[in-house]
Order: sequence, then C-alpha cells, then structure tokens
Amino acid sequence: MNLASQALTALCWIVIVLAISPMVWLILQPYFKGWSRAERRATDLLRDTLTPEQFHQLTWRGYLEIPSPTAPQRIYRVPRTKGYVQVIENGRAIMRLCLQPVECLPDADVVVLHKLMIEANEETYLQKANKYFCVD
Amino acid sequence: MFIGTAIRNGVDYEGGTTVGMLRVMSRRGDDRVTWDEQKVLVGDPEALAAVREAERIFAQERAKGATAFRIETGKPSQRIDQFDATAEQIVLVPRVVGG
Repeated sequence: MNLASQALTALCWIVIVLAISPMVWLILQPYFKGWSRAERRATDLLRDTLTPEQFHQLTWRGYLEIPSPTAPQRIYRVPRTKGYVQVIENGRAIMRLCLQPVECLPDADVVVLHKLMIEANEETYLQKANKYFCVD
Repeated sequence: MFIGTAIRNGVDYEGGTTVGMLRVMSRRGDDRVTWDEQKVLVGDPEALAAVREAERIFAQERAKGATAFRIETGKPSQRIDQFDATAEQIVLVPRVVGG
C-alpha cells in the first residue's frame, strides 16, 4: 500500500514536470538564445547605439520608444523581438508598421536597424514599411 | 580583413588614439573593420590597408542595397552615401522591405 502510494506520488511528479517543461522552455529560450555569439555581438552594437535609458527601457518594458525627428507628437514603439512597430501620435496608437531586412538578423540588430532608419532616414522608412491603420 | 574588437563606440579611450570602425550587420551579428585614424594620417601601410578594405566592403554592401549610417558619440545618427574614413563609426544595415 505504502509502495503504491509512493509510486503514485512519483508518477504525479513526472506528469507535472512533463506538463510544465514546455512552458519553462518558452520562458528560458530567449535567455539561451541571448548566449549565442551572433546575439552577443548584436547586443554589443545595441549597447553602443542606445543611451543607458533607452537600453533600460528596452530590457524592462520590452520595447524602445523613438521620437520622430520630423513630427514632435509622433513616437515609434519598436519591440525587442520580432513584431510590428507601433506608431503613436498624441498618446494614441494610429498604425502598425511592418518592415524587415532581406537578410536574417539577430533581434538586437533589428532594433538598431529600426532606430537608425527612423532617426536618419524616416521618409524612406515610412515609404518602405507596410502600414496597418488602427481603427477605433 | 575583419577584426573582432571590444573597442566601444569606435574610440579606444585607454590608448588615447582615435579608431574608426565599420560595422556590417549580418546573421553572424556584425562584422567589423577598424582603423587608426592617426596612423592613416601618417601613412601607416597597415592602417591604410584597413581603410581600403573598409571602403571596399562599404561599396560592395551599398551595391547590394545596404544603407549606411554615421554614428558619432553624442550626436544624432546620419545617413551617408560615401565612405568617410574620419567617421567614428559607420554602420551598414541590409536592404529592408515591407513585411
């Protein structure tokens, strides 16, 4: 009886571990990915390009806000990982932009790419991006 | 001649020398070429070769549709069409398309 109870407990634990392991992997995957050489090099460039405040924002909030150099009321919200760039005007999201490099790049490099293009080449950036307007 | 280096923002503060850097984004992170501006000015063959190599890569990537940005500490980044050996740092980003 006691042995059966122990076996049942062990079986329960095995089921629990198997059930949560995919979730644990999903949570830890970005950190493992961050250890790859390419990601490390891309993170170096990101650190060199962003101010400490911007780097902190990206790390903790998961996005980087870049003010438009031409429209003071406009902010571009660039995600840390793949996804749409949100365009926010006067505090409201007005559209989402999709723009990607033809070559596969580490996520940190993609953030730098968006930042450089918005700050120094905004017109071309907006021309090339696919736009999805937000409807209230 | 790609050189991996830990020089921050293209400037080797410890040595007191000014180092220019070309960084090319790729799937490997970024490839880098560095050159010592002062050695270039005095005609050091190695420094001149590094600049020529950077210039060649710059032209090659631009021909493939890459965009070049000049980055200087404390200044806004600037798009450039010509290679500039006096730049603190030049970053080449690959061609982009709407997704």
